[in-house]
Amino acid sequence: MKAPFVVGVWLLALASGFAQNPPLAKDPGPFLQPGDFPEDKVPKQVAGPAPHFPDGRPDFGGNGAWYPGFNGNLAETTWKGVKSADKHVDVPFLPGTLATYNERVENRSKDDPEARCLPVGVPRFMFDPYPFQMIQTRNQVVFVFEGDNYLWRIVNIDSPGNTHPKNLKPTWLGDAVGHYEGDTLVVDVTGFNGLAWLDQAGHATSDKLHLTERYTRTDSLTLKYEVTIDDLGAYSKPWTASNTIHWRPGMELMESICQEDEKSSIHMIGK
Amino acid sequence: MKYCFLFCVLGIMHAQDLGSDGVWLPHPVVDLGSSAAVPFQPWAKLKFQENHAKQQNELDRRCLPPGVPRITLMARPFEIVQTPNRILFVYEGGAHVWRQIWMDGRAHPKDPNPNWLGHSIGHWEGDTLVVDSVGFNDRTWLDDAGHPHTEQLHVIEKYSRTGPLTMKYDVVIDDPGAYTQSWTSSSSLSFRRGEKLAEDICLDKITK
Repeated sequence: MKAPFVVGVWLLALASGFAQNPPLAKDPGPFLQPGDFPEDKVPKQVAGPAPHFPDGRPDFGGNGAWYPGFNGNLAETTWKGVKSADKHVDVPFLPGTLATYNERVENRSKDDPEARCLPVGVPRFMFDPYPFQMIQTRNQVVFVFEGDNYLWRIVNIDSPGNTHPKNLKPTWLGDAVGHYEGDTLVVDVTGFNGLAWLDQAGHATSDKLHLTERYTRTDSLTLKYEVTIDDLGAYSKPWTASNTIHWRPGMELMESICQEDEKSSIHMIGK
Repeated sequence: MKYCFLFCVLGIMHAQDLGSDGVWLPHPVVDLGSSAAVPFQPWAKLKFQENHAKQQNELDRRCLPPGVPRITLMARPFEIVQTPNRILFVYEGGAHVWRQIWMDGRAHPKDPNPNWLGHSIGHWEGDTLVVDSVGFNDRTWLDDAGHPHTEQLHVIEKYSRTGPLTMKYDVVIDDPGAYTQSWTSSSSLSFRRGEKLAEDICLDKITK
């Protein structure tokens, strides 16, 4: 009697497991080659200590720019044949979000807002191959990006625990309040419109998205980025993704206007 | 009088400080040529009339950047971020874009790639920030009224903080491809202390 019962429970568990968790869509495979990226052609630099301002704050600037590289999936270490995020994450998908993710991967991200020149969004800016700079003033950190539409993002620096304005209008980049914890810039972001994708693969967001970003310059050439994604509208619990971003000495940002002669997106029909 | 003295001193002390705790709001200028005769070349006059008759710039409908100086003539706030080597202009209106003004003494590139916002270098003349820009494409309008320009456009902008809450904006339009001589316009901006820029993504309005 006991054995069939165990098998029955096992089958039930298996069936309900499948009902709740269909398998993740697979990596569509390499269509990008390692040599396609500028980071592969940059001579190795010798890192020095991370710079600081006279008042002790970490300095995220200098003569150069940060280059995140292409990280098509912030929960995988390789995606489309190249290095992706720093670590694999078992993403705590809600069922609808998993279905959306699988559909996006399988149709080759044909509805990617970024491909329609809409804002890359946060945290995707830290995983996409657009160089950026961080300009720090007394009361702000101003991020300026080359792509995909020569955007800016302002983080207001305030005391820890300071709250966001009430009744925020939902936006692509959210409302960002930051503070320094030793050598780390910690940024709390909320007020999102839920339209941005977390990455090219297609991890979705909802308007409940709340991010905690941590930026640490570990040496002159390295920026460690860690983001906790707390979005109970899309994921059952918070999860954390990370990327190592490299400094390109001497790099200056060029104007890049995605909307200029944009004729490509209508040809994105997926698979 | 003693208050004026205090304010005047503060004003002088901070004249090269373009405001880090607020935003600048231009008093809008629709037509750069409204206060003076514009030295049009014949084709440019026809083009202006054609643009003016359209009433709306088609590039705006496609959410392309407004160009210079139009981006500083619109009734939309912007923020000025000053660093030793570079001054950034961060604009709420237009296309959520920014400009960088190099203050490190460099020259313009010899053959700049024509773009929407140009290549800008700046220096201080007393308390006036002088911004010299070249390298524009010929697709933007100089103002809402529709003054055209060519890739030979060379813009000189002068930003003078005349008081804690006021700035004078003078602009020289120098484009031998469209105008027989350079011409100027003057306007002003107000400082909104404590205000912040909002996010306004133009494409939201046409993709929904």
